[in-house]
Amino acid sequence: MSRRLERMVWSSLFMTLGCTRPAEERTRRDLDVGRAESAAFDVEVTSGLAAVRGLSQKELALWLSAPSVELSFLVRETSPLELHVENAMAALVLTDLDLGGVLPLTSGADATKKSWQLTLTPGSRHFRLAAPGADENGHFRFALMSDVQEAIDRIEDVYRVINAEPELDFLLGAGDLTEGGEVDQLSRFQRELATLDLPYYTTLGNHELGERPPAYQDWFGRANFQFVHRGVYFTLLDSASATIDPLAQDWLDTWLANGREAVHVVAMHIPPFDPVGTRNAGFASRAEAAALVAKLAESGVDLTLYGHIHSHYSFRNAGIPAFISGGGGATPERVDEIGRHFMVFEIDAKRGVLSSEVVRVDARTQIDQNE
Amino acid sequence: MARLADPGRTMVTRVSFACVRAIAALILLSVTFQSAAAHAAEPVTRDRRVAAGLAIVPGAALHGSGHYALGQKKTALALLITEGVGLALLIGGVSTELASGNSRELAGPALASTVLGSGLVLASFGADLYGTLATDGGAVDLLPRAPPQLESEFGYRYVADPHFSYGHFVVESLTLRQGDFRFTPSAWFASNASNVRYRVEAAYRMVGLEPGELGKLDDHLEIVLGGMHQRYLPERFQRSGLELTLDTRFDFCHIGETLRGSFIDLALGYGVAKVTYDIQGVPVPADTDDLLLARVGLGVALRGPAAAGSEARVYYDHRHDDYAAGFLTPGRISGVFGKFGADLRWFFRPRLGLLLDAQVGSAVVAGFSLLLREGKLRTQGALP
Repeated sequence: MSRRLERMVWSSLFMTLGCTRPAEERTRRDLDVGRAESAAFDVEVTSGLAAVRGLSQKELALWLSAPSVELSFLVRETSPLELHVENAMAALVLTDLDLGGVLPLTSGADATKKSWQLTLTPGSRHFRLAAPGADENGHFRFALMSDVQEAIDRIEDVYRVINAEPELDFLLGAGDLTEGGEVDQLSRFQRELATLDLPYYTTLGNHELGERPPAYQDWFGRANFQFVHRGVYFTLLDSASATIDPLAQDWLDTWLANGREAVHVVAMHIPPFDPVGTRNAGFASRAEAAALVAKLAESGVDLTLYGHIHSHYSFRNAGIPAFISGGGGATPERVDEIGRHFMVFEIDAKRGVLSSEVVRVDARTQIDQNE
Repeated sequence: MARLADPGRTMVTRVSFACVRAIAALILLSVTFQSAAAHAAEPVTRDRRVAAGLAIVPGAALHGSGHYALGQKKTALALLITEGVGLALLIGGVSTELASGNSRELAGPALASTVLGSGLVLASFGADLYGTLATDGGAVDLLPRAPPQLESEFGYRYVADPHFSYGHFVVESLTLRQGDFRFTPSAWFASNASNVRYRVEAAYRMVGLEPGELGKLDDHLEIVLGGMHQRYLPERFQRSGLELTLDTRFDFCHIGETLRGSFIDLALGYGVAKVTYDIQGVPVPADTDDLLLARVGLGVALRGPAAAGSEARVYYDHRHDDYAAGFLTPGRISGVFGKFGADLRWFFRPRLGLLLDAQVGSAVVAGFSLLLREGKLRTQGALP
């Protein structure tokens, strides 16, 4: 028996005994995100960076997971198309990559929800959604906010304080948007996002796993993905089951190689190591955690961001700055009194992470009210 | 606008909580041993089948119901009290976790309380069932035990972990006892040389039999200082740790005669480890990591063609830093659990035995070892 076959037989036998790949199914579902077909055309979002939220012969609705997204159409018959895009940067424009030129908006200037009217002609057609300057190395600020869960009724406070922060390009999330990941909760989360002036690019958390398969990917897109913004690489991973599926680990190897020479931010929900090891709100396997951290360190990752623990922690793993920010409102750690908060990072494609700041929402709201 | 059809499941996750299968297999084996020794006077008069049924309903809620039906009221009360203590620890632990928002200051003690409480609750239920089903009338007690002065293990394990390239391991350990002291070095070697783990334990027995000292109970209380070093060569890191554990075995015969031959293992401790990274050309600082050590096991001594020291055990081990690591689930709660396991030590000759071992965490570990022991053993003959 060949070594490979022998290993396969043994592994199959033993893995059926246990739950060694709880994230496998949803990791494979990532591959379906951003693909859809209608009678008139097929559409594919490059790298799955948007969820197709609705499709008919004349309309296509996308939920973006990244600041810049490319769309490929295989058009079978000439058809007009209304393109509706949600979770977009305010300055987002649609460029026709085949014919050149920016297409005019039909609605949604300066908003996260935008629409365009296109005419698709038969053949292969390519478009790009991106803000001007998105491809140029630059200097920008983004915020991090995770773990909303049951506190959705009060999320407007958090968004109000985030909206007041100057010059934020987007809000990054590390999961646990909802209490159980049910469709009505995802829908409610989306409705509340209407009060946020920024797009919210996020992965999922363990609280999105209340349904099988999770509805999350149909709403907010891939759980594992990478995007580049102004020369900075952002990789979001699905660690919601306290592990990263081996398939996602394979993708991660490619993404780490992509970002090796650049400033690279990696975010996920459950941190590999809980800074309070006796609590073990980290990966189920400390060995897997260390292997991941070694991989990130070897690839020169500049910043790691996590959620899951409802407080704020600042530490380092293998020398990489690491922050846990679970301040979206879910039951907070009581003793530390940090409470609801989000973080703001200033980052530069050449100089790396320049600063980080914790913004305590309730303290800020109190100050605003007093003023 | 039409919603997209659900893309559906692309692949069914290979999920089954069939650690239960492995554990059940071991329990079945131990039951086989029990039935091989059908015999002996029963110390009780009521119908055991009814009692066993009552040990399940309402016994699942009211532990000791089976013994109460057998007329063993003191044992029944003791089991009920054990359940109460376990529930108090369990509820206290969980409510502390919830009320404190899993606070960094309280999470460790709260988790320890939860694990030990859960263990006591399961143990009192299991003991009730055992006492109503075991039919040897305490015959297991006829054979005094003494810990061997020297015990060695040589065996094989398969580790099915989708994250690591290793699979087959050679396992060796040696235990030396002198008076109240025990010294146990052990090692695991991956056949593909990708991984190795060395471990040393030095223990002081505060309560319990010494080698050569014969007694009828299997109680002990040890304080264990452990050291560990593990190398993950392809993954380029090493983990070295120290730990201190209080390790105890309590023989259930203290609770009632019908429970002779059953026991609970409890261990509680704290470990700290240094993780060093071996990345070529990149100076990477090491990390420190700490962990809660808590273990609860419930076991029975084997009858039939088994020499003293033969036993089967199911257990929960909270540690997350070994090959099996923590249990994974596809749902909302994942990561916090440790592993579940079962082992069976069968001495088919006074000095020669077999160990079967299975663990399910984020990896599945299973295998066997040959056991050799030496010392002053009272092992003449099997149980009646």
